[in-house]
Amino acid sequence: MSALPRPHGQLSVAEAARHSWDVIVIGTGIGGGLAGRRLAEHGLAVLYVEKGPLGHRAESHFLRDDLSDYAARQSRGLWPTMMEATVDGGAAHRFFAPLGSGVGGSSVFYAAAAERPERHDLESTNEMPHPAGGWPVGYDAFRPYYDQAEELLSVRGDADPLSGLPPPGLAAPPLTPTEAALFRDLRQAGLHPYRAHEALRRVPGCSDCLGHKCPRPCKMDGRSAGVEPALQTGRAALLADCTVEELVEAAGRITSLRVRVAGAEHRLQGEIVVLAGGALHSPGLLLRSTGTHAAGCANSSGWVGRGLMFHLNEMVAVWPRRGSPAAGATRAVAFRDLYAHEGKRLGLVQSMGVAADAGRIADHLKGMIARSVLRRVPGLGKAATVFARASARLFGSATVFVAVIEDLAYPENRVRPHPEDPEVPQVDYRIPDELRARRSLFRRAMRRTLARHRILFLTFSPLLNFGHPCGTLRFGTDPATSVLDADCRAHDLDNLYVADASFFPSSMGVNPSLTIAANALRVADLVAVRLVREGRKTG
Amino acid sequence: MRDMRMQEALSEIAVITEAGWGIGEALALALVRLGVMVAGLSRQAFQPADDRILPVVADVRDPADVARAFDDIRARLGAPTILVNNSETYPDRDILDETPASFMDTLQLNLGGAVNCCHAVLPGMVAAGSGRIVNVVTFADVQPAPLAAGYSVSKGALRIYTRALVADLGDRFPGIVITDWVPGTHQPRKGIPDGVAPQLAAEWGARLALMKSPEINGLVFLQDREHALPRSLKGRMKDRILGRSRAPVALR
Repeated sequence: MSALPRPHGQLSVAEAARHSWDVIVIGTGIGGGLAGRRLAEHGLAVLYVEKGPLGHRAESHFLRDDLSDYAARQSRGLWPTMMEATVDGGAAHRFFAPLGSGVGGSSVFYAAAAERPERHDLESTNEMPHPAGGWPVGYDAFRPYYDQAEELLSVRGDADPLSGLPPPGLAAPPLTPTEAALFRDLRQAGLHPYRAHEALRRVPGCSDCLGHKCPRPCKMDGRSAGVEPALQTGRAALLADCTVEELVEAAGRITSLRVRVAGAEHRLQGEIVVLAGGALHSPGLLLRSTGTHAAGCANSSGWVGRGLMFHLNEMVAVWPRRGSPAAGATRAVAFRDLYAHEGKRLGLVQSMGVAADAGRIADHLKGMIARSVLRRVPGLGKAATVFARASARLFGSATVFVAVIEDLAYPENRVRPHPEDPEVPQVDYRIPDELRARRSLFRRAMRRTLARHRILFLTFSPLLNFGHPCGTLRFGTDPATSVLDADCRAHDLDNLYVADASFFPSSMGVNPSLTIAANALRVADLVAVRLVREGRKTG
Repeated sequence: MRDMRMQEALSEIAVITEAGWGIGEALALALVRLGVMVAGLSRQAFQPADDRILPVVADVRDPADVARAFDDIRARLGAPTILVNNSETYPDRDILDETPASFMDTLQLNLGGAVNCCHAVLPGMVAAGSGRIVNVVTFADVQPAPLAAGYSVSKGALRIYTRALVADLGDRFPGIVITDWVPGTHQPRKGIPDGVAPQLAAEWGARLALMKSPEINGLVFLQDREHALPRSLKGRMKDRILGRSRAPVALR
């Protein structure tokens, strides 16, 4: 397969090292991808540095946790190593987290959910004080970037009747009759369902690609909406299979990147560095960059890697009311009735877009068993399968909904590179009592709301969404309690910006992608304006 | 049904190795009659049974020769969407009469030929995200007959190669569907008394080559149906309870 021509814009490390770039973007997920695109569209010379491979455009595989070979994972654009997590001070667990490492990063595997947060997610409002006192950039300043991100990601869906947020510019495809029946069911229960917002172009042959790579120019992610259009400008280039090992710092600036390609060390140089390796790996790179400060680069606050948040996933199978057809696998529905409930931050509820058939329910049950003390009971997994088959036969196919319950930032919840293997993110996380309380509140409220439906909570214990890490390089106005300033520039460094989910000071009640994309565009504009202002580029 | 199959077949470009005689010739004819564009590979020049079949001379043992042949096919017909690896030799030689070179030459044709052809078509199939590969195999590896060392080893290895292809490609490119097929036509050979006529087997093979469902990826077909792996009684009961049992896929 070496006969395939190298795609336009892909460079060798020798070629990349010969050039001095306006901006080097580290990571090509939804944040890095879109930042690089906007920077290239501003006329800047942009180099994307991606740890993983370019991959093949027609690939359509899912994330895999059953594949452990390092090289086999790497060639599929999966993060090659396990993650190590210590939750609530228990034993350290190693597992394959849902993380990508290839062009498009984790975003090529996402479910294309592109939901806007609400004002109280970013600011204190009369009803909902913000846990961090508000983001340093308010909702109105973010709004134009949400609009632009929705346009670039081809977001389609309907207006949410409760939040009063504007509908996306594009309409979603019509509901199937079973989906329409589900909407009616939920409305009868007093809920306000709306057509979930999805970043899909819906080209002919679209197969939704929820959770797997999209083989068509359809699902909009860091690759299709970021790297590919950036390369088409002719001003951006891609260096794949390249691991950044250290940001080299001198006199308050990043002067070069020490990188490794095929075992050999190289140096890359750029005027500005935009870090977008993802909220587990971006802080890891800073903590490993100890050439100037033992505590790591940009870490005078000590907050690098801290404030780590995940969402809590609360899954519930909902069977249709008697007489309604089973909607089964659909991603079409979301509702925000419990988004903020009794003054507490809960979150968006959306249908999961997976077949809620016997196999799926059994998988969840087995997963839950594996994570609980019940894992020592032999044969329980099989029992779960039989139970799920029986329930599917009795009740028909259920629709699985998942709540994205907001997680709040605590300094003791953190990620560091594993001391023995820097590719393994080592997570220390304690589930705070207030989060457990909000989870209970959500379950009570769901049970009450859907009292006339047959429902089954699929999560026994709190289930962290390891695919939604954020907050590990929080932005803020006080350099003592934040890593980045309002522009997402490191307080400590003149030319280091961050464009991934690390900047979140709070995790919001929605999926993170749209906000990462919006902020990446904002950061790219700030960088471009700055380079023009300083006369290093003409506008 | 036939019309539908013809509609689907119209955009297909098939390459069949050892297409100058026997099952290869019959398969080329069956596919071309369904509207598939067909190139037939053969080591010797041959007169195709239908003038719509493109004859291409190549020694499948030689990767360079195969690469050249596929360049030629791509230039004349387009990128192949179907590959049927049908080349084989059956030397009928006592293991004491084999030399290491003669033994490896059997492998180079029966296994290496398929490897060379797969290597030639896969870049195009990977770019398209779809394609169809049928490896013609036997169960000679299960209980090797006397005088069939090279043949049994190479055919068994080819079946492993199929599974290895699926292990590397199946998740990434579910549209590239790779199966084994035992046509059961080997009348001239010893030990297969119930061999069927190549023309009949070719009808099944053509259907199999046009089946693109990812669900059949990695399966073994015997004549006109899926050859399911034998399961123990306990295993069959487990399948029933867990809802995993299904009827074998048929080609009729």
